[in-house]
Amino acid sequence: MGVGGATAVIAGCEKKPEKLIPMLVPPTDYEYTPQTAYQYMTTCRECDAACGMMITTREHRAQKAEGNPNHPLNQGTLCARGQASLQSLYNPNRHAFPLADGKQIPWEEGIQQFSAIIKAASGAIAYLGKPASGSEGRFVDEWLKAAGGGQRVKFNLLTQNSQTAANKIAFNRADIPEYAFEKAGIILNFSADFLETWGNSVENARRFTDMHVYKNGKKNRFIHISPHVSLTGAKADRWIVINPGTEGLVALAIAAVMREKNGSHKFLKNYLAAYTPEKVTEATGVSVEVMRELANDAMEHGPVLALGGGNVSATDQSVETLVAVNILNSVSGALDKTIRFYNQTVPESSTHQDLTQLISDLEAGKIKLLIIDDSNPVYALPPSMGFKQALKNAFVVSMASQKSETSHLANLVLPALTAYESWGDAFPRSGVRSIQQPVMSTVNTFDAKAREDVLLSVAQNVNKKAFPGNSSYLDYLQNIWKRIQREVGDKRKFDSFWISVLENGGFFENSKYKRVTLSRKVTSVKVNDPGLIGKDGLTLLPTTSLLIGDGSGANKPWLQEVPHPMSQIVWDSWVEINPDTAQKLGINDRAIIEVTTPHGSVNATAYYHFGIHRNAIAIPMGQGHQNSGDVADGFGINVMNLLSGRMDNAGNFALVDTQATLKMVNEKSYTVNTDGNARQLGRDIAAATTVEELNSGGEKHGGHKRPVEFYPDRSETAGYYKPYRWGMTIDLDRCNGCSACVVACYAENNIPVVGKVRTALGREMSWIRMERYIEGYGDDFETRFSPMLCQHCGNAGCETVCPVYATYHNPEGLNAMIYNRCVGTRYCSNNCAYKVRRFNWFDYEFPSPLDQQLNSTITTREVGVMEKCTFCVQRIQTAKYDAKNLGRDLEDGEVVTACQQTCPTKAITFGNLMDTESKVSKNALRDETEKRDRQYEVLAELNYKPAITYLKKVNTRVVLGHESDRHDSQEQEETHG
Amino acid sequence: MGTTAQYDATAGRVIIDEHQGHPGIKSTTLSYGQINDEMLAMLDKPRPSYYLLLLGFLMALGLGALSLAIQVDVGIGYSGISHPIGWGFYITNFVFWIGIGHAGTLISAVFYLTRAPWRTAIYRSAEAMTVFAVFTAGLFPLVHIGRPWLAFWLIPYPNERMLWVNFKSPLLWDVFAVTTYMSVSIMFFMLGLIPDLAILRDEAVRKGKKLKALVYAPLALAWRGTNHQWVHYMRGYMIFAALATPLVFSVHSIVSWDFAMSSVPGWHTTIFAPYFVAGAIFSGLSMVLTVLIPMRAVFGLQDYITNHVIQSVAKMIIFTSVIVGYAYGAEFFIGYYSGSPFERAIFYYRPFGEMASWTLLGDNEINFPQIAFWLMVFCNVIVPIPLWRWKIRNNPLAVWIIAALVNVGMWFERFNIIGSSLQHEYDPSAWGEYWPTVVEVGITIGSFGFFFTLFTLFAKSLPPMAIMELKEGTNPPMRNAAKKDTDE
Repeated sequence: MGVGGATAVIAGCEKKPEKLIPMLVPPTDYEYTPQTAYQYMTTCRECDAACGMMITTREHRAQKAEGNPNHPLNQGTLCARGQASLQSLYNPNRHAFPLADGKQIPWEEGIQQFSAIIKAASGAIAYLGKPASGSEGRFVDEWLKAAGGGQRVKFNLLTQNSQTAANKIAFNRADIPEYAFEKAGIILNFSADFLETWGNSVENARRFTDMHVYKNGKKNRFIHISPHVSLTGAKADRWIVINPGTEGLVALAIAAVMREKNGSHKFLKNYLAAYTPEKVTEATGVSVEVMRELANDAMEHGPVLALGGGNVSATDQSVETLVAVNILNSVSGALDKTIRFYNQTVPESSTHQDLTQLISDLEAGKIKLLIIDDSNPVYALPPSMGFKQALKNAFVVSMASQKSETSHLANLVLPALTAYESWGDAFPRSGVRSIQQPVMSTVNTFDAKAREDVLLSVAQNVNKKAFPGNSSYLDYLQNIWKRIQREVGDKRKFDSFWISVLENGGFFENSKYKRVTLSRKVTSVKVNDPGLIGKDGLTLLPTTSLLIGDGSGANKPWLQEVPHPMSQIVWDSWVEINPDTAQKLGINDRAIIEVTTPHGSVNATAYYHFGIHRNAIAIPMGQGHQNSGDVADGFGINVMNLLSGRMDNAGNFALVDTQATLKMVNEKSYTVNTDGNARQLGRDIAAATTVEELNSGGEKHGGHKRPVEFYPDRSETAGYYKPYRWGMTIDLDRCNGCSACVVACYAENNIPVVGKVRTALGREMSWIRMERYIEGYGDDFETRFSPMLCQHCGNAGCETVCPVYATYHNPEGLNAMIYNRCVGTRYCSNNCAYKVRRFNWFDYEFPSPLDQQLNSTITTREVGVMEKCTFCVQRIQTAKYDAKNLGRDLEDGEVVTACQQTCPTKAITFGNLMDTESKVSKNALRDETEKRDRQYEVLAELNYKPAITYLKKVNTRVVLGHESDRHDSQEQEETHG
Repeated sequence: MGTTAQYDATAGRVIIDEHQGHPGIKSTTLSYGQINDEMLAMLDKPRPSYYLLLLGFLMALGLGALSLAIQVDVGIGYSGISHPIGWGFYITNFVFWIGIGHAGTLISAVFYLTRAPWRTAIYRSAEAMTVFAVFTAGLFPLVHIGRPWLAFWLIPYPNERMLWVNFKSPLLWDVFAVTTYMSVSIMFFMLGLIPDLAILRDEAVRKGKKLKALVYAPLALAWRGTNHQWVHYMRGYMIFAALATPLVFSVHSIVSWDFAMSSVPGWHTTIFAPYFVAGAIFSGLSMVLTVLIPMRAVFGLQDYITNHVIQSVAKMIIFTSVIVGYAYGAEFFIGYYSGSPFERAIFYYRPFGEMASWTLLGDNEINFPQIAFWLMVFCNVIVPIPLWRWKIRNNPLAVWIIAALVNVGMWFERFNIIGSSLQHEYDPSAWGEYWPTVVEVGITIGSFGFFFTLFTLFAKSLPPMAIMELKEGTNPPMRNAAKKDTDE
């Protein structure tokens, strides 16, 4: 009680505790039960997609982030970055106190200094911050006015500016539409990484999967037309390799063929005549037949959804490219079907032009005070732009919560609170108003204040009339929400409206979409070939990682530790290079190569990737930090050092504009990847089938026959599986490898992060890993993902070999692990065919305050102890207690594991296999093997009887592997068939 | 036995026909007194070189102890064992040392029962080696496990929490097998020592060395050498030999089941029990020769450990080498014949490394397991071949070199089985590599230090050869005296 009480006091009050007060008599001002989970709704601010979050707090500490089930965008799921947002809150490298020129100062002094400098600047102020879809932008604008003037520059490296510009040209409106993936029959994707960083990846993944998953004997198509196969492209049914920067030409060629056939948009006739497949084939590197085939496919399988944008197509033709995609969407009739515009505000954003202007203003001394929020332009802008040098000409105030290269250079650092501890809101789409509320008191290690509150009080210091009646940002926010209440016609008292908003995580309503038509102005847009292939060297494609993002995730241990799903590399950067090109240049896989562009040069590891154009290389952004904290600094390289900072015609950053030359420095590099082998050698760990095979019934061979056994199955043994036998199904056709489940597992189960060196030895602790296998060779390769976790075998290899019963089969079918009993022989791990057991080689630490995130319903493990997936046994127990209190058994769907909970594509189902009506039983068809088509158990021939049934990935093509692979798999069939 | 003994007047000794007489002792021209003197002389105050040798072994032991201390302090992660290679050098050493321990019992018990007379001169040392090797092996599970301070949980003892051990686990069988073997071999060793300890006691008393007498007297268990005692002693010895004989075969079979009972490709095979037992005898006999040939040279024991003895052991080595070589071949054949892609893959991997088509583009990499494999084949199959020739067998130096190489080869055989199989199991995405770290090498060196320290101490504190059995091999002095009398 004492400890619980102390924690409660720490977290329960606004003020920090002076001393520990034992809670002999619980305080009456709040109701609180130790060890009970309290959930709060808020909004994820890791990227600007603004997914709703539901934060589980225990003992008044946020312990787990989950998606807000009410939220229309993410519907209860989260991506890896959202899961890891907890590590923004508890990051040991957060600014802990105000700093003036690197020295600690008290807050009063900081605010005084800040007020003084505002007065002195007399309007020569610039506020450089993230673009805000919510009230924050408006607040800052008003604040600038109150502070005497100044400009706000919105900085976002992964901007959608080109899309808004192209929409403005094509549809005469500059907002971002909703992409109704699920309505499409075929997706033509022009380099948009929509499962990673393009738009809201969680929503995209869900809706895309709804469209693309095998259903009723059919599977819709997804064609990836790009010089680069990212995680998104890995899910494609077909990859069309095009020359970098020629997405627009291919789109127009397809549009030309389609328009010819369907006769729509007569005014485009002459315009498109200049872009027939015959005319663009040379520039794009795509054959005429292929383009015609694509057009026919699109017409046959429509409705079409054509997507474009993102890093890989951000050449100086990026806007033109997206206009072309818009034309294709219009010609194919996608508008209002798969693409819907709403009445909504244009997402705010500054162009690259504005940033360049800001830099020249700084250089000219026109700006005396520069205020920067959590964005990190010093890191994220190419050094050739001179932002870092220009900072010297102004007084820089950083209002960041996290340490960064930018805050390192600030004259004054006023630590801000994270989104977990402060108020805010976001309006990412029409009808979606998402609220961000503090889910806990501030982390007591850090003496930080909410950015808006600081700004407010400073403004009121400077200008008595500023923000009348607002004593805090919460007042300001509530005023805005009062207005929203009026707008939406809610008649309740504001207090009850406000509480319902906080309970739901925002206010969500359906809005009607507006019809749009293609503007005739598009004919004036000339789409050119940027001609990147003709130039010397290899075109450098700066890609994004769905884990680290633009670099803001680099200081989060989970995001560094979890392997990038495509490369399986951890804690590093790499250069993706086509093996053909590499071998021509004499560069071996994992060699250290020197990448040189006219703007700089870096040394990085070569990574052989079939999925890249032979005249291009790709380097992911986000690594190579210098002052962003212990976890980020010194790992990998910053691709921005290689870029020019040039702009396209619309003033956007032309990321793809640089040619690189490569030189081998060393044959070996210390790059750590977690996959032992990229190929599965026909072992069908991640199995796939084709639509044809499924329809012809070729897959219905009754599953793998179980051998006749001497001993009865556990299900026939007294004391087992009554009433529960927990099981899982994983649909590989749904899984896209996003690794959100992996991060969720780290968060839920107190899994330690071990770092690069120990991962190199295979000592990573992940209980669930995203296995990536590559099939085939060259352009026709296929990537398969398979989440691998403890299979909770009914006939487990690990259980029998443990000499002390530290692991045993519990009555509910869980392969239980008793940490306290384990002596650490590691025999169980040897005998696990799935290799999912993890051993505590050391006593791992959770550097403070990361330890506050630890899930208090389970333990951490000590050195010398084996651990592994428990099917979130703590969640099963909690649900069982709750059901027991109600005097009934658990119902299907009441236990949700952490991995299942966060999966944006709902690839994982979990439940009771003894209940024939449960979803998992119906998915797994364990007892009705004759009905099975895609179901299989991994390594079923070992007769471990795993509780996890996988559902095969469904392909629309046959990928021929290597001869030896086929040989092996045939042999296997013969032996076990 | 049809011994023809003649009295040689010039030599003043009885000469026993070499072919018909006791073959273990060269031209059995030894008298009881001479044997006593020569054996006891071996236990005289050591020369400085002895201390130098002992210091070397102690330093190796110290290195091991230091390495172990670091590992326990930092965590088992200080070693190179990792995921998925949960067992590495330590289990290799465990199996290796258990194997070494097999020669002693084989020689002292099995060859006792089968009446192989050449065992007489070497069985005491071999038995001592058994005891020390099992001691060494017994340390490795403690070195290896994650929480060695809880190792006693492997013992089924009644406790208030009603926790019991898992009798299905081969590791538990191991606990029983090794502890049984250890206790039986210690008792057998001590039993065999009783008459010799009595000699040492008597000698100490005679020379007035009270401390020595105090140590040896209780161990000699009041041995007087009466007829009555001899009758019981010989029966007891026979019973112990009969008890120990099955252990020679069972212990290493059970150790092999640690592997064979698992599902790991490359481990899961029925050939393992005979294969391991043959390997154990192979390595144990090699170790006996590795140790005894230098000892024979140092102490000048050519009269006792004759070339004939060495030849006999060498023949056993050839025999077991052939078995082991056959087992290697059979493993590969079954790997192929099973049709299992997992088995085939591991048996391709062991000699040749990654198959080109396994990797993304086909790089054939040679790694530690491949080195281990070819060392194993070379040392265990190729190197013993010259022993088929009498000339080589009769050359102690050549035999010693071969025996030492076989020891190397057998160590790598254990490693080859343990290390390589775990690297390439079922799930290619979870394949891994294994390289030992400095602590593992240190502890391995330390284990040799431990073994040889014990043996070096033994060689100077207990008779390294069975005095009473040596005497048994010569003719009883009574009869000689009688003959002498008649001749005179």
